[in-house]
Amino acid sequence: MKRQIPLMIVLILGLLFVAHVFIPSRLSTDYLDWFMKWTKVIGPFAIVLGVFSLVYVHYNKIKRKAPTWGYSIVTLTALVVTTAVGFIWGIQEGTPYMWIFKNFNVPLGATMFSLLAFYIASAAYKAFRARSIEATVLLVAAIIVMLGRVSIGQAITHWIPDITEWILNVPNLAAKRGIALGVGLGMTATSLKIMLGIERSYLGGKD
Amino acid sequence: MKFADRIQKVDRRIIYVILLLAVVLPLVFRLGFKTYTTTPVEDLYRHIDAAAGKDDLAILMDFTHDPGVLPELYPMDLAILRHCFERNIKVFTISFLPQGAAIIQMALSEVKEDYPNIEANVDYCNFGFKPWSTKLPIMLGMGDDIAEAVETNSEGLKLENLPIMQNMKNYDNIQVVVEISGSSMGQFWVIYARAKFGVDVAVGLTAVMAADVYPYLQSGQFVGSLGGLKGAAEYEQLVDIFAMNGLEFSKKKARNMAWVEAQYEELPELAQLYKYNKARIGMDAQAIVHVLIIFFIILGNIGYFLDRRAQKKSM
Repeated sequence: MKRQIPLMIVLILGLLFVAHVFIPSRLSTDYLDWFMKWTKVIGPFAIVLGVFSLVYVHYNKIKRKAPTWGYSIVTLTALVVTTAVGFIWGIQEGTPYMWIFKNFNVPLGATMFSLLAFYIASAAYKAFRARSIEATVLLVAAIIVMLGRVSIGQAITHWIPDITEWILNVPNLAAKRGIALGVGLGMTATSLKIMLGIERSYLGGKD
Repeated sequence: MKFADRIQKVDRRIIYVILLLAVVLPLVFRLGFKTYTTTPVEDLYRHIDAAAGKDDLAILMDFTHDPGVLPELYPMDLAILRHCFERNIKVFTISFLPQGAAIIQMALSEVKEDYPNIEANVDYCNFGFKPWSTKLPIMLGMGDDIAEAVETNSEGLKLENLPIMQNMKNYDNIQVVVEISGSSMGQFWVIYARAKFGVDVAVGLTAVMAADVYPYLQSGQFVGSLGGLKGAAEYEQLVDIFAMNGLEFSKKKARNMAWVEAQYEELPELAQLYKYNKARIGMDAQAIVHVLIIFFIILGNIGYFLDRRAQKKSM
């Protein structure tokens, strides 16, 4: 029963949603409205679960003095302080919450992302070699697009931005559309497998 | 060590230092490169501009991005808001990420200080943060009734009582949904809002995501897009040369670099503020960094081919 009930829920709800999309009627619209109200109710429970899980994991790390347990103190402190100031003073502009956001969250986030530039530059230099015809095509296309996306490309010749646009609009578009179609078909197949109970890994592995 | 080896094995710390200088120096000493505009950006500008002065049309900006991508996306946020405030276009803002809601506050307050006549809940309305789990009900619900689906604004006021909502009912009153994010969130709007209700959707994305949207642009599912810092710089430029000068958009003029440069001579003081030039200043640094990376790639390949030739000779 532990497995059959979830499988039945998935099958019935899956079929109902397929029916909603393909059989437009008053009944299916009402069903969707009803379901949307439920979704709004279910959401907050996920937040409670998430916060509980975060506290549980980091509390145990601190208790066991696990490697890098110091970071867990920072995480929990940030969670408590940010939540507290948000509840007490609100989250509008000019509140302590916004001060924390602007002075901690923004610079830390931007720093993490900006490190990418250094890694990309180093990796491109070390690994980007014209070892084959395919690699050479990729290399030439990359150089044209890199030049074409900045003003120096335009300054050299207007052909560089023009070719860049062509690369993005033709070969890139064709490849992306092919990938998207593949992903779409894969998602449909996986959804059917889940609905029909062939794919059961979401239930926790064992049959 | 041979020359071929040496140019293939430059210490990564040297690369990092050179890169750091290539980023920092153009930010300090402005080079003032002018950018050229591209069709997806022009289309978005034109689309938004078509709602100018209309009380029953608004644009909906979805700020589903976090601080990590702010350097690329924040100039887009500011440029679009400035365009709307300058041209009297109603704006709704929403975010399905908590950090996105804080970014909305930052962006609105930064642009609003230059437009004292713009009023909250009259000229714009911040819907604020809505939990991720409510994304689908809100996207679908807005097709019937925006006030009922979103319920309250960021201050907890009922939308149905706000002046801006008097002429707004559903997606028929949304000129375009502009999704600004570092993810594929824009596709959700296409799947649920465009496919079912026909609302126009556009995106502002980080440069690494920009190539993904071309199939959607060709099919018309996205009416425009801003790709990375370059897209933001183009939009800044369009706002400066058209909206700030009170001119209607013209593709021919936007592509005429001599005319564009002439417009820069007569810009009002407001357009020259640093915050409204962030993307274009950033593009100076990006131009130098791109050239530097190309140089390093070519250097590595010269070393590789010299090495291969030496190996062939010795065989």
